[in-house]
Amino acid sequence: MTPLLKAWSLYVRWTARFPAVRSIVPFIPVVALWAIVAASGLFPPVFLPGPADVVRSFGSLVYKGILPDYLQDSVVRLAVGAAAGMALGIPLGVLVGLNARARNMLWPILLFFQAIGDIAWLPILLIWFGFSLTTMTFVIVYTVLFPVVLNTALGVRSVPVELHRAARSLGASRARVVWEVVLPGALPNIMTGLRNGLGFGWRALIATEIIVGTSGIGFLMFDARRAGSVVEILLGMIVLGLLWYVVDGWILAPIERATGQRWGLVTQ
Amino acid sequence: MKSLTLRNVSKTYFDPYAGAHVTAVSDASLAVGQGEFVSIVGPSGCGKTTILNMIAGFIPVSSGEILLNDQPVKGPGPERGVVFQSFALFPWKTVLENVGFGPKMRGLPKAECDKIAREYLALAGLADAAERYPNELSGGMQQRVGVVRALANNPEVLLMDEPFASVDAQTRMTLQEELTRIWQERRPTIIFITHDVSEAVFLADRVIVLSKGRVLKELAVPLPRPRVWDRLIEDSAFKALSGQVLQLVRSA
Ligand SMILES: Nc1ncnc2c1ncn2[C@@H]1O[C@H](COP(=O)(O)OP(=O)(O)OP(=O)(O)O)[C@@H](O)[C@H]1O
Ligand SMILES: [Mg+2]
Repeated sequence: MTPLLKAWSLYVRWTARFPAVRSIVPFIPVVALWAIVAASGLFPPVFLPGPADVVRSFGSLVYKGILPDYLQDSVVRLAVGAAAGMALGIPLGVLVGLNARARNMLWPILLFFQAIGDIAWLPILLIWFGFSLTTMTFVIVYTVLFPVVLNTALGVRSVPVELHRAARSLGASRARVVWEVVLPGALPNIMTGLRNGLGFGWRALIATEIIVGTSGIGFLMFDARRAGSVVEILLGMIVLGLLWYVVDGWILAPIERATGQRWGLVTQ
Repeated sequence: MKSLTLRNVSKTYFDPYAGAHVTAVSDASLAVGQGEFVSIVGPSGCGKTTILNMIAGFIPVSSGEILLNDQPVKGPGPERGVVFQSFALFPWKTVLENVGFGPKMRGLPKAECDKIAREYLALAGLADAAERYPNELSGGMQQRVGVVRALANNPEVLLMDEPFASVDAQTRMTLQEELTRIWQERRPTIIFITHDVSEAVFLADRVIVLSKGRVLKELAVPLPRPRVWDRLIEDSAFKALSGQVLQLVRSA
C-alpha cells in the first residue's frame, strides 16, 4: 500500500507544481498500447511503426530543418487567416447583433454561405487563383469568419438591455457603449467563435495544404504518403494534435480564465 | 423651483402578436422640486417602471412631455442617474471601475476617477471591495455598488427602481437609513419606486400612489429627519400615514 500511496502523493505534488504533467499522464497508456501493438508484429512495421521510430523520424526531420519550416508555414498561415477572419468577423458580428435591419438583411446570407463549407470552395478557387497562397488564405479566412460572426452576434444580443441603459445614463455615447459594454459582454461568445473558427480553420488548412500545398504539415503528410512513409504520416498527425493542445492550453484557455470565468459570465 | 415635470404623459405599447395596444401609463402629471425625495408606490403592473424608463429617456413617451429644468427629455443622459432593480453592474469591471465609470465618461483622468470612486465606496462602507468583481459580492453589496455608482456621477436627479427589493429585511432597513443620510448630505432629486408602502413613507417627502397607469393620489410626508427605523417604527404619525397609503394601494 505504502509505495502506491507514495506514488500518488508524488503525482499530486507534481501536478500541483507542473500542471502540464496532468495533461501528459493520460497519454502514457495510449502510447504504451501503441508500442505494444507495434512490437507484437501483428502489423508489418511499414504499416504501423512504433513510437520509437516516430521519435527518430521527428529527430531527423527537425535536424534537416524540414519540420520546423513546414510547421512555421502552417502556423503562420493559420495565424494570418485567423487574424483576418477576426478583423472582419468581430465588427460584422457586432453590426449584425446590434442592428435589426442589418441582421434581417445579412443573417440569411450568412447562413447560406456558412453552409458552403470551406473546402467546397476549393474547386472554384483553384480555377480563379490556381495553386496559390491566395487560395489557401481565402479558405482559412472563410472558415474562421463564420463561427466568429455568428457567435459574436449571439454574444452581442445576449448582453442585457439594462447594461446598455446603465452605461448610457452614466454618460456613455453609443460608440463608447460598444467598446465598454457590448464587446466585453460578447467576449465569452467571441472566444467560442474563435475556438470553433480555429478548429475548423486548422482542419481546412491541412486539407488545403494536401491539395494545394508546396509546404506545411498537410503537405508533409501527403508527400509522405507518396513516399510510402507511414512514420512521417503518423508524425504529422501527432504534430497536429500537439499543436492544438498548445493553442488551447497556452492561448485560448488562459484568456478565457482571465475574462469570462473571472467575471462570472461563464461557469468554470 | 420645479426641476422635473411630467405633463399629461401617456405610454402605449403595441403588442404585434395580439395586434392590440396596451396602455401602461395614461395622462400622468407630476412636478418634482429640486432636491425633493418622492416615492412612487402602486401594485405590480401599474406602470411604475414605464414612468421611470420614460424619465430616464430609455423609452419615448407616446404623448405628453417630460421636462427637466424646462428642457424636454430626449434619450438618456448623465444628469439623470438610474439605479436598476437588477443592479446592472458591469461584470467585467471591478467595483472601483464600475463606480468610476461615470467620471470616466466625463473624460476625467484615471487617477481622478479612482479617487472619486474610492470616496463614494467609503461612504457606502465598501472600501474593502474596491478591487473585486461584482460576481464576488453579495446581493446587498452589489445593490449598494449600484446606488453608489449612480451617486458618484453626481446626477441632478436620481431614479431608483425598487432598488432594495432583492435584499433581506434587515439589510434593507440599513440601506434605507443610509440612503436618507446620503440624500440629506448631497440633496439630489430622488424618484424612488417601490411597492413596499412603509419604505415609501419612511424615505420620502411625498408619496405618489399610482393605479392602472394613473396618479391616484399624492400625500405629503411631514415626518422629521433624520429618519431612523428605531424611532419611526413605533411612531404614530408614521403608522397612520403608512396605513393610509396601504389602503390607497389596496383599493387601487
Ligand atoms: N415592452 C412592453 N411591451 C408591452 N407591454 C409592456 C411592456 N412593458 C410593460 N408593459 C405593460 O405595461 C404595464 C406596466 O408595466 P410596468 O413594468 O411599468 O409595471 P410596474 O408598475 O413596474 O410593475 P412591477 O411592480 O411588477 O415592476 C404592464 O401591464 C405591462 O404588461
Ligand atoms: Mg417595475
